[in-house]
Amino acid sequence: MSTGFIVSPADKILVTGSNGFIGARVVENLLARGYFNLRCFVRPSSKLKKLQTILARFPAAKAVELVSGDLLSREDCARAVKDASVLIHLAAGFDKSFAGAFMNSALATRNLLDAFLESGRPRRFVNVSSFAVYSNLHLERHALLDENCPLETEPQARNDAYGFGKLKQEQLVREYGAQRGLKWVILRPGMVYGPGKPDLSGRVGINTFGFFIHMGGSNELPMTFVDNCAEAIVLAALKPGVDGEIFNVVDDERLPADEFLARCKAAKNFFSVPAPYPLVKFGCALWEDFFNKRQGQLPPVFNRRRCAAEWGGNTYTNEKLRRLLGWSQKISTGDAMKLFTAQYK
Amino acid sequence: MNLRFAIIGCGKIADQHVQAAQRAGGCELVAVCDREKLMAEQLAERFKIAGVFSDAEEMLEKVRPDAVHITTPPLGHFPLAKVCLERGANVYLEKPFTVTADEARELVALAEQKKLRLTAGHNYQFTSEMMEMRRQVASGFLGGAPVHLESHWAYDLSDATYVAPILGSKAHWVRQLPGQLFHNLISHGIARLAEFLDDDVTISAQAHQSGRLKSLGGQEVKDELRVLLRDGKGTTAFFCFSTQIKPGLNSFRICGPKNSMLIENGSGSIILNRAGSHKSYLAYVLPPLKIARQYLHNARKNFTDCLTGKLHQDFGMKELIARFHASIRDNSPPPIPYREIVLTARIMDEIFSQIRSEEPGR
Repeated sequence: MSTGFIVSPADKILVTGSNGFIGARVVENLLARGYFNLRCFVRPSSKLKKLQTILARFPAAKAVELVSGDLLSREDCARAVKDASVLIHLAAGFDKSFAGAFMNSALATRNLLDAFLESGRPRRFVNVSSFAVYSNLHLERHALLDENCPLETEPQARNDAYGFGKLKQEQLVREYGAQRGLKWVILRPGMVYGPGKPDLSGRVGINTFGFFIHMGGSNELPMTFVDNCAEAIVLAALKPGVDGEIFNVVDDERLPADEFLARCKAAKNFFSVPAPYPLVKFGCALWEDFFNKRQGQLPPVFNRRRCAAEWGGNTYTNEKLRRLLGWSQKISTGDAMKLFTAQYK
Repeated sequence: MNLRFAIIGCGKIADQHVQAAQRAGGCELVAVCDREKLMAEQLAERFKIAGVFSDAEEMLEKVRPDAVHITTPPLGHFPLAKVCLERGANVYLEKPFTVTADEARELVALAEQKKLRLTAGHNYQFTSEMMEMRRQVASGFLGGAPVHLESHWAYDLSDATYVAPILGSKAHWVRQLPGQLFHNLISHGIARLAEFLDDDVTISAQAHQSGRLKSLGGQEVKDELRVLLRDGKGTTAFFCFSTQIKPGLNSFRICGPKNSMLIENGSGSIILNRAGSHKSYLAYVLPPLKIARQYLHNARKNFTDCLTGKLHQDFGMKELIARFHASIRDNSPPPIPYREIVLTARIMDEIFSQIRSEEPGR
């Protein structure tokens, strides 16, 4: 049984997005620690096989509540947060439009925050954000990207609706902290990978026109295996003394993009074409200028900001994660890659 | 002087309006309004818009825009448009124009009484291939009044992103509409029939649920619709809405007593079918060659338009906004005749009434 945490296993913990890629692993991690008083919030349309498989492995998980609803409904949020002491907010919408991403991220979070403060027993709100909130535009290539780096100021120009939603979500959480006394922790996972998510990150390259364009060169990937990421999230929910802190989540051992790609290709043979960074940078700049000149005749999918964020390359650290949360990488990158690439076989 | 316009409803479609209006030019977006103020703020922040409101009446009072684009879910269209017209603003209403034909008639009457312009978001009526079709009809290509029309409109449900929230909640606004999924999706396909049918229309509609929707937990929602129509002059029409036909059919066929045309919205093509006969086996050779030549012409034209910047994904909306704003500035007729807007609403009313009456327990 865990000790020295801000809540005991008797306290209610709400996990939103609990049937998702990371959420299901967070639930598993909490159950393994003896936290059975969980409430798992899921969408009405969710197929719950992933979550139910995990719950079935823990006999005591019969106490786990499954609550179905829509976070855009204040009534559903009030039901979800009732008596919850810790809220781990993982639910994320992947709407391609800015308005849709904003609704799913920021509005949903606002509803949850209001409900949590009104109907919960709020000890901590754990907001799971993303590396997408950072702006790398003015960072040197391969410079260190840590929690103090500047945030994106022009998500519209970057054409990153998801990042915009996450930025606004973080902004709300910090505002509720400053104005209404909410205790929060924000986590920004890097490239989360694992079984159940076979698509390669855009940081490695893009799959288009029938083949894979490898744009990430030998850049270090901010990778974190899904179980290692879940461990960080759970520690952020439970550890005392970290309110108001922001953590980047990356594993200790991080592969370069070309090696990551090579290991994937060893498991599943597919054709890829390398695109050197100067060419990628030139192409993105050209595309952006054409977009501006032609008033958006082409979608702004390539631009300088995205180029810097995804293909410019940085180095990363998990020093804060280790120091304040006592996190350590439970699953080695070697084992993680085996688990990841096994889904291709 | 730029026309000053505002947007009420800051969801997904609002972005398209902002960008299409920027391309149309001659206008300035002076305010955005959404009942959910955060939504208005996010739009204003991204497009650097000064006026941000959560109350439509307050926005109309303080900003006094020349025009308002209403891009809310359809249940809000009628009351909001009415308020805008009463406050002296011209109104662009996204599709579906209103929930019922009675509401459409009332808005048209109010706009006429106030001498204001009103239009519906039937932007697919203004794609370059549809405008070419209209030019051909005006030039007499059909050889007389249309004999028959066919409109196919498709929506792909392979990706459940759109439909999952609708099926997930009975309270979803799409489920509150009399025609549910159809109500939100068929306006474009019906509007092009309404352009060529007279007001004396008889309608026979049937609908069912596809296997795909059923597998997604479709409940009472239907997604396959077939409609037969005939007007007072004897012009007949067929309308098909499908989520299942692959590749998705978005096309319009207009047949005259002499010649016919096929407009394919998916590829931005228009094919002119001229009557004629060919001797013996040439009938199997020459007509396909003539059609192939036309497709080649369409491809060449679209490629050139793309290079020169004339072809744009949202060309129809840009064109409709430009024409609507011009009609306000020039005091000229609105881009879509009111008769067509009301007839579109009437046809939809009747379709939904018939398919509801098919449901068990009614």
